[in-house]
Amino acid sequence: MKKFRYVGVGVNRVDAIGKVTGETKYAADLKLSGMCYGKILLSTYPRARVLRIDTRSAESLAGVRKIITAKDITGNNRYGYYIPHRPALVGEGEETRYIGDAIALIVADTYATACEALKLIKVDYEILIPLTSPKEAMDMEAYLVHKEEEGNVASRHELIHGDVKAGFEASDVVIEQTYVTSRQEQAFLESEAGVAFVDESGILHIYSCLQDPYDVVEDIYLALGIPKSKIHVKATPSGGAFGGKLNTTIQVQLAAMAYIARVPVQLVLDREESFIFHPKRHPDEIWIKIGASSDGKIHALEAEVISDAGPYAVRTNEVLGLTVSALVGPYSLPNVHLTGKAIYTNNLDSSAFRGFGAPQAAVAREGIIEKLARVLEMNSLVLRQKNFLKSGEETLSHVLGDSPVSLDLLKDRIIEKMGPIPESKPDSGRRIGRAFGFDMPVFDVSAIPLLCKSGVGIAVELFSDASVAIYAGGTELGQGSATIMAQIAAEELGLKMNKVFVEMGDTWTCPRAGRTSASRLTYVLGNALLLATEKIRDRLIQRAAEMLEIHKDDLLLVDGEIQAKGSSSKGLSIRKVAEACSNEGVKLREEGWFKYPEDRYMYGHTFMASAADVEVDLITGEIKILKLVNVHDSGKVINPVLAKGQLYGGSIQALGYALTEDLIVQDCKLLTPSFAEYLIPTAMDIPEEFLADFVETPYPTGPYGAKGLAEHSLNTTTPAILNAICNAVGIDICTIPIKPEYILENLKT
Amino acid sequence: MSRHNIVLNVNGKQTSLEVESDRSLLDVIREDLELTGSKRGCDNGDCGACTVLVNGKPVNSCLVLAVQADGQDVSTIEGVALGDELHPIQEAFIEHGAVQCGFCTPAMIMNAKALLEEIPQPTNEEIKQAILGTLCRCTGYIQIVDAIHSCGRSKK
Repeated sequence: MKKFRYVGVGVNRVDAIGKVTGETKYAADLKLSGMCYGKILLSTYPRARVLRIDTRSAESLAGVRKIITAKDITGNNRYGYYIPHRPALVGEGEETRYIGDAIALIVADTYATACEALKLIKVDYEILIPLTSPKEAMDMEAYLVHKEEEGNVASRHELIHGDVKAGFEASDVVIEQTYVTSRQEQAFLESEAGVAFVDESGILHIYSCLQDPYDVVEDIYLALGIPKSKIHVKATPSGGAFGGKLNTTIQVQLAAMAYIARVPVQLVLDREESFIFHPKRHPDEIWIKIGASSDGKIHALEAEVISDAGPYAVRTNEVLGLTVSALVGPYSLPNVHLTGKAIYTNNLDSSAFRGFGAPQAAVAREGIIEKLARVLEMNSLVLRQKNFLKSGEETLSHVLGDSPVSLDLLKDRIIEKMGPIPESKPDSGRRIGRAFGFDMPVFDVSAIPLLCKSGVGIAVELFSDASVAIYAGGTELGQGSATIMAQIAAEELGLKMNKVFVEMGDTWTCPRAGRTSASRLTYVLGNALLLATEKIRDRLIQRAAEMLEIHKDDLLLVDGEIQAKGSSSKGLSIRKVAEACSNEGVKLREEGWFKYPEDRYMYGHTFMASAADVEVDLITGEIKILKLVNVHDSGKVINPVLAKGQLYGGSIQALGYALTEDLIVQDCKLLTPSFAEYLIPTAMDIPEEFLADFVETPYPTGPYGAKGLAEHSLNTTTPAILNAICNAVGIDICTIPIKPEYILENLKT
Repeated sequence: MSRHNIVLNVNGKQTSLEVESDRSLLDVIREDLELTGSKRGCDNGDCGACTVLVNGKPVNSCLVLAVQADGQDVSTIEGVALGDELHPIQEAFIEHGAVQCGFCTPAMIMNAKALLEEIPQPTNEEIKQAILGTLCRCTGYIQIVDAIHSCGRSKK
């Protein structure tokens, strides 16, 4: 087996020093000469007709540079991924669709003045009755959030395989349950922020935290009518994103401020604005029915998902598609009938959040399987194993993958890591439960021939001093992609890590790379990078062969040198060869363009297992996580330290999803607008014992056999915790988050 | 708004400032002193991303008025490294993978610094207590706890 110097090694992050010294500049830390401050006036009502916007008092306030309303927008004032139907600004005569719709933009000399001006804008509204739930919105009489979307249906998915009716008839046991999942907030610590300015050549520059710089260009072009060639978007280091910055957030409004006011502007949302503005994890209601014979063989699965899409399309169609297909999970099921509907409402918007619809499905699927095991009086792990997808078997879902199946390996490893189950002491007033969860989440291999999802580029330049720059259009959100790219480049070009500079997320310098989501960067950018470095390496060796008068096949690139095979004394430094190439006009800048050979709706699959030991206090209902283990098969792990960080981080977000996180929206208004009300886990909430581990089955088409990784860790921790609670105290958990009050109430009855 | 002349001893450097009475210590650190390592995550005392040390004790600088800090010693992340040489806590954060997006990192390091000054070899429970007030959404905290724990050990 080939020995690597950097690949598979937990090297330090390339961006770590700036982050530990405070030198890294996030968007809110940037200060431009003559910079003004922006503020967005959001709609007071979830649904209202804007009758009149009076900006006169605000405009006359000293220090106000510009108040912008829909009338000032020169483009078509609409933007949005999938369907560009979100207004940049809701104008007079138009209706708002949620409390995050923008009515006016303020540009002022100071932030305080911008806030003051905001209060001076008078808006007359005709208040209309909003749709507060999918149920209301599905009513035949309901108003249409978008005129052209009949029945307020944002998306519909169906997955049929075999004959579900026959499957249930063949079953000895049939059970059903409805699961309700909460609206989860991404809660990135850095709120939406950016600076924008128009330079002397009329180019609009946007520096902002985001996940898809190319989509931001598209949205600014659509809404404001600025030619794409005159828009430069540069991603700043993001203080977390988790899908919440995947769709264009503030950048269209920010662009309008700078473009119309013609001053440099900084726009930073405060926490409440942030909670309102960006889309959340879809709250779902999932009815699910399962049938099995008494030996545990599952014969049929039927389910219906109703998802709250919120006011705009954004990623709803894809998220719902994944929720529906993820209901199958890593199991081999002969008969399934799964349907899903996402419904427009006037609630907060819904779109991407780590897991992309699969965590909701995992709660329902793993929940009903655990319940099935109880009814069958069978060990739930045995039941799961009995129905595991087998190697070589095709998955049912339309998002067909081609990953080697490693569920049994994962199961063995996680059992080993969990060790013996601690016993509940009879008189302690506490009960301990354990549960396992499995899944096979997807990652994008760049095969989908629509919406800029196919084809990913990267550029690499080797300089005459043997330093190398990589221009990668993904964005660094904290996941560590810049480090992964540097590891691969250093490995392939035989250079030290400190010779590699990685620039990310700049639409001017980086070839188009699409979005940073679906755990795709290691796979797609990694593959593109291998294509680019191969060309540069071949050229270096070719030139060295000429210089040394040795055949190129007899040369090796290693440790900063090009050496003759078997004789380390005969060689040239890469620097010498690079210098020669540079002097002689031999090209050392290359682009790698990776496109999956097939154009079909396809992702790759990883496999994952979680397990939890949970202790429940019978007097207080308090839940304590004693042990939490996650084992993933993400193929070859390029950086184990960073990879474990992803598993730890994702599973603690999942713990929050299970136990505390619920963004409460009542009558379409947000009741939990801060971290004091919306509780994400603190250091005190982490499990007493907390482990992460990998099984590494190489993925044939992945760089070094690597697969995607970052997004997945959220999926199975939530059901593992819920089922462990259920096993401890014997109550069904159908609604998350589960609170101590719920446990106490249900213990009593 | 009344204006006040104050003196802050920031990272060992005496700085005279004129500030309005309603401005927070975080406002002054970030805007007047241009030390942007301290982050504004909520401006409400909930997230702890703005944590700095006042007289060696961690505080949410968004909840402290600048005038209240008059005459006090203020330490921010910018004063932790000695020139180009990282502080052992910073080294430990890097080695243990305790840094992801980095937005809470300065605050976590300031918490750790205050803790290790007071308890040179803290237990994991003491470490968790010390960082309890600072939210991290990326790491699941464990690698941060490990990093701080390793500093305690290396001091033996």
